[in-house]
Order: sequence, then C-alpha cells, then structure tokens
Amino acid sequence: MGGKVSCTLGEVKNRADLIIYWGGNPAECHPRHFTKYTLTQKGRYIPNGRKDRTMVLVDIRETPSAKAADIFLQVRPAKDFEVITVLRALIKGHAVDPELAAETGLSMEQLQDLADRMKKARFGVLFFGMGLSMTRGKHMNSAALLTLAAELNAYTKFVAMPMRGHGNVTGGDVIMRWTTGYPFGVSLSRGYPRFNPGEFSTIDLLIRGDCDAALILGADPGATMPQPAIDHLARIPTIVLDPKVTHTSRLARVHFTTAATGISAPGTVYRMDEIPLPLRPALKSPYPTDEEIVHRIYQAVAAKPPLPPAVMLSQATM
Amino acid sequence: MVGRRFILNAGRTSKQGQQINVGKDHDEYNAIVETLIMHPDDMKELGIRAGGSVRLRSEYGGEAVFRCQEGKVPAGMIFVPYGPPTCRLMGSVTDGTGMPTSKGWEVEVEPLLDQPKG
Repeated sequence: MGGKVSCTLGEVKNRADLIIYWGGNPAECHPRHFTKYTLTQKGRYIPNGRKDRTMVLVDIRETPSAKAADIFLQVRPAKDFEVITVLRALIKGHAVDPELAAETGLSMEQLQDLADRMKKARFGVLFFGMGLSMTRGKHMNSAALLTLAAELNAYTKFVAMPMRGHGNVTGGDVIMRWTTGYPFGVSLSRGYPRFNPGEFSTIDLLIRGDCDAALILGADPGATMPQPAIDHLARIPTIVLDPKVTHTSRLARVHFTTAATGISAPGTVYRMDEIPLPLRPALKSPYPTDEEIVHRIYQAVAAKPPLPPAVMLSQATM
Repeated sequence: MVGRRFILNAGRTSKQGQQINVGKDHDEYNAIVETLIMHPDDMKELGIRAGGSVRLRSEYGGEAVFRCQEGKVPAGMIFVPYGPPTCRLMGSVTDGTGMPTSKGWEVEVEPLLDQPKG
C-alpha cells in the first residue's frame, strides 16, 4: 500500500478528536501549531476545543511538547518502526508477542490502549517529524506510518501529515512535483526529469563532488549538511541568495543580500498541508527579491553565446 | 571508539529559532549550538560538571567540542541543537534516501580537563 491519506489543517481544526505527534516537538519547533490548528481551537465538530481532543506524543525523549499531551509514550531510540508494526497488528486483531513488543520500550497495555483509541476516534491525525524520518529506518519509518494511517481508514477516518521544518520547504516539493513529477532529487541534465534519491539528491551530489557550481536559495547548508558536503561547497563557485549573513554565505564566492519574503518581498508560500498562501510585504526593502536576481542571472546566461558542440571521441581520434 | 558511547539526538530548540532571526553570526548562536544536554547520572559517572567541556567523536570519524549541561534526556542519550558542530559529527551516507542519518547516531564522549571547580 502506498500514498498519503491527508487533509488540510482546517479539517484538523474542525474535526480531529485524536491528535498524535510522532517524533516531533511542536511546542518548540512549530510554536503556533497547537493554538492555531490542532489542540486549543474550537472547531465546527469540536465545540469544546481542547476538552474534545486527546493528544498523544510519541518520542524518544520528554520534550517540552509532553506538557501539552494527555499521553506521552517514550519509545526506545530507533524502535519506531517496530512500534508502528505492532500497532498495525493490534488494530487488525493479530496476536503480538509481548516480549518483542517490550523491546520498543512500551508495554502491551500502552500499545493496546493506543490502538483502541485510534480505532475509536472519529477523526484521527498522525503528525510526524524528523524524529521519525531522519533516524535509522528513515523513509521506511515514514512509509510504515503512512500505511498505518491508510489502514486505519477501514475503521474510522484517519490522516497523516509531515511536520515540515523550514519556511516554505513544502513549496519546494510541491513546485518540483507539478513541474517535473517528482518532489526532490531530480536531474534535468538530459533535458528531461529523472528522479533518483541517493544519486541526484543534493548531499549525495556534493559529497561525491559531481557538481562544479551551486546556487543556494533560502537555505543554509553550511550549518546543516555533513561536513564533506560543506567542504565541497567551499571548493566550487557557490552563489548564495539570503537576507542575512549565514555559514553558507561565508564560504560562498558570491552572496546577494535579498529582501525577506513575506516582510519586504511578495510571493507565495505553501503551508505544511500544501495550501498556497499569498504574501503581501509590509515593508519596502532596498534589496532585490530572490526572483529578480534569478531572473537577471537567467537573462545574462541566455545572452551568452552557446557552448561549442562536444566533439565525439571517435571523431577526435580520427 | 573506546570511551563511553552515547546516542546523539540532534534537534531544534525555540531559543535557537529566536536567535536565527537575530542572526547566526553572533556569540549567542554559537553558544546555543555548542552546548549539549546530558542526563545528570551520566555526567556524574563521567566526572563532568555543569559548564564543563567534552569532546565528542562520531562513529563516522568527525569530532567536536561542546559545553555540557544537565537536562531532561534519558540516560545514555545526548541532545544537541543542530549547527556547525553537529555537521562535523553526522555521517555522509544517505542510504539512497538523499538524507544523512541526522538523529540517533553513536558518539564517544571524552571529558576535557577544564571542568569548573565547585
């Protein structure tokens, strides 16, 4: 089974009575999530707001988000896949070996209670964060959780949504999807899109040293990527567009200071539920926008004479 | 690796988020990303005092120095906000996913000699 059963945050606000955060810490990383969309808001079918909702937090450590939760389930590191697999079995009524379940750090009673709550919910949501998707198991953990949400629809309405991190990271995925058919890790070097994470994804390209130039927009890989990838960015001509001085702008050959999108530049951002939101700038900036700079670079490149055609090896040796 | 091993759980904090809006070019930001949180029993066992320095060596070969503070993490785990020091510790292999393992990898902890007195 594949795919993502999802919804908008508006539906969560108006309908969700069971909210599960898995491997995420919204109290610190999405500070307005509880109050705008998930916990405290009253909704059309949730007239009493917080009192009508149950919040479960699943994580490997007790983060500040645990204070907001009705139930906190502390799993052992790198055991998320096992917990999800046990829940899938319990929901279908299959027998589970208690000793195997105990390896997850949770008791059978805790797991059965969560499975029962999921099946009895009127509208359940699984919000999952980097604690699930960037720990060992990675995409397999995410796929298991998306499958759990899909399978729960045999009993009730259940959806899953990733807790996206940096500003408009969802927008990057959405635009890539509707322009190339793929969300990331896309190569256009042959004139048509090819998708292969591990080969065409940024970190892999940088670590192997496959690329000889880089244009960085709205990101700071110099403070987030593995050191060998950062070292390669420092070796090649790297151009950074950013309103602020960052670790990446310090290692770049060129840094364009840009207007801050949403503050002094217009644009569209995609919320984590993939809803596009137009931005109206409140201030004027002396700096150009990202779009203006990219457009001017594109015009300058287009005005350059084309490269001479590559000489075939067979012709060169004739 | 020969020292006591821990699971390194890197993440984000609201303090760090606030400081990013001020700028990453400040001592305050560096102090945040160079401070790790450890369980008090682990600190006691290793002879580390609050504010003392430790060197972390990663299972992938990198190393970085942090200030140590006690906090609410399970024994055997360390929490550090993402930043240039964690870049030096995380592995480069993405397992074909495009993303490195940036949470929950093993590090060795070595207390340094500049432990505060008291």
